[in-house]
Amino acid sequence: MLELYHSEPNLYFLKPLVALEEARVPFTSRYFDPASFEQYSPRFPQNTESLLNLEREGPVLVDGGTVLTSSFFILEYIVEANPAANLLPADPLGRYRARAWGQFNALQLAPGVCALGCARYLAAALKALDQAQLRARIERLEPKERRAAWAAVIDGSYDEPLLAKIRERLGVPVKRIESALAERRWLAGETYSIADIDAFALLAPLPDLAPELVSERVTPRITEFLRAVRARPAVEKALAHARTPNPQRAFVPGAEPSRWG
Amino acid sequence: MLTLYHWEPNANSGKPMLALAEKGVPYESHYLDLLNFDQHKPDYLRINPDGTIPALVHGDRVLVESTPMMEYIDEAFEGPPLRPADPKARWRMRWWMRFFDAYFAPSLSMIGWSVFVGPAVRHRDRRELEGAIERIPLESRRIAWRKAMFNEFSAEELTESRRRAAFGTDALEKHLSEHEWIAGESYSLGDINGFNLGYALPLSQPDRCNDQRTPHIMEWLRRIYERPATKATWAKGRTQMVERVKLLERKG
Repeated sequence: MLELYHSEPNLYFLKPLVALEEARVPFTSRYFDPASFEQYSPRFPQNTESLLNLEREGPVLVDGGTVLTSSFFILEYIVEANPAANLLPADPLGRYRARAWGQFNALQLAPGVCALGCARYLAAALKALDQAQLRARIERLEPKERRAAWAAVIDGSYDEPLLAKIRERLGVPVKRIESALAERRWLAGETYSIADIDAFALLAPLPDLAPELVSERVTPRITEFLRAVRARPAVEKALAHARTPNPQRAFVPGAEPSRWG
Repeated sequence: MLTLYHWEPNANSGKPMLALAEKGVPYESHYLDLLNFDQHKPDYLRINPDGTIPALVHGDRVLVESTPMMEYIDEAFEGPPLRPADPKARWRMRWWMRFFDAYFAPSLSMIGWSVFVGPAVRHRDRRELEGAIERIPLESRRIAWRKAMFNEFSAEELTESRRRAAFGTDALEKHLSEHEWIAGESYSLGDINGFNLGYALPLSQPDRCNDQRTPHIMEWLRRIYERPATKATWAKGRTQMVERVKLLERKG
């Protein structure tokens, strides 16, 4: 039996929940709270790659003795281990598109959405915790990347000029997705695929976080896309894993933006 | 009909070049001189409006993302498989390719651009360079080129890039001490991806990457260098980079 370690069904955590439900693969849900830092505990499932600690704040799929991390690659794994689920186009070009979207959205869309969500919701949630304890815990994180990602949330590094720049840059991937959806029903082609699951999970918080970027008026196709994916029974089941009233407000410091500026 | 637009056989351009060579797939090669900004000229922007290299044109299909492009090459053409059949090994291949693309490569390329690409164009007329930047379609690439051309990398970001280059080198050495190849037991796209940025490590990080400190990386690089497909691909290079890869020649 597969085990999925996940937090609230939002962003990175939502993706494998949806894919497993779409593929009708039974799994045991292991819920964890990233703000408790239990993902760094030696009891948490880990592999050589996750021990590098570059991406501890994400879902973990355990299949027998194998530990899999990195949300889009978990989706590809689910697809390849369950070909009957039909969550990738059959033709090589459609598959290329799905993977190219997975990469593009991971690098261009996810870091910005995460930053906006952390600034608005995670920063406030962390304020409710014991600050001295929290700081001491963050100080112990290795390597520097994860420490910096958490510290940025509590130190108020996300000031208005930075957030404005993040919103402006998010305009690029949002426009690209809007145009792609004008050409094709789904991102990889004429059939629903893991590229759509991935994009849905990353775009869904934007009407709340940045309505000037994603709304019925400015992005009618994305709005329709979000509605269509949201209506799927598998998405409904995935969202039922929520333990808070507003899972779309649950954020973790995610992938960092490009270091080239 | 298959056409590849590429620069030197390293980094992103080298990924489809080496993958096609391993598969034994012939293609029409279009060399674009990155340092002459050929990739931002109208002829090429008609093929890839983003102005990034490489681009693969297969019939009426245009592919521009180099890592997914390699998986396409493996799926669309006959020839030896370049991905393991086991989904777990594939996951490992993809994890490491993302590590190379999103973590290791940006740090190594920042160092490379500050010592090689920047100085190679910096002596040119300032207005000519400003004009060249104006023609770059993507803002992220304009920022990168501006930093390289005018040497605007901060000491802090270069220090951080060197720290990451060291972290990445050690992580790769550990991985290759546990596995013969990136994906595990067989040569794959992960090795092609890793070689394209790793080939220069012994030269750019001589204190970090050498026979004493990182024997597994060195042996892995040499094994890839010795493959006929690698030799054939690097024969297409036109700059001094071709000389750098020869460092991997075994002595004696």
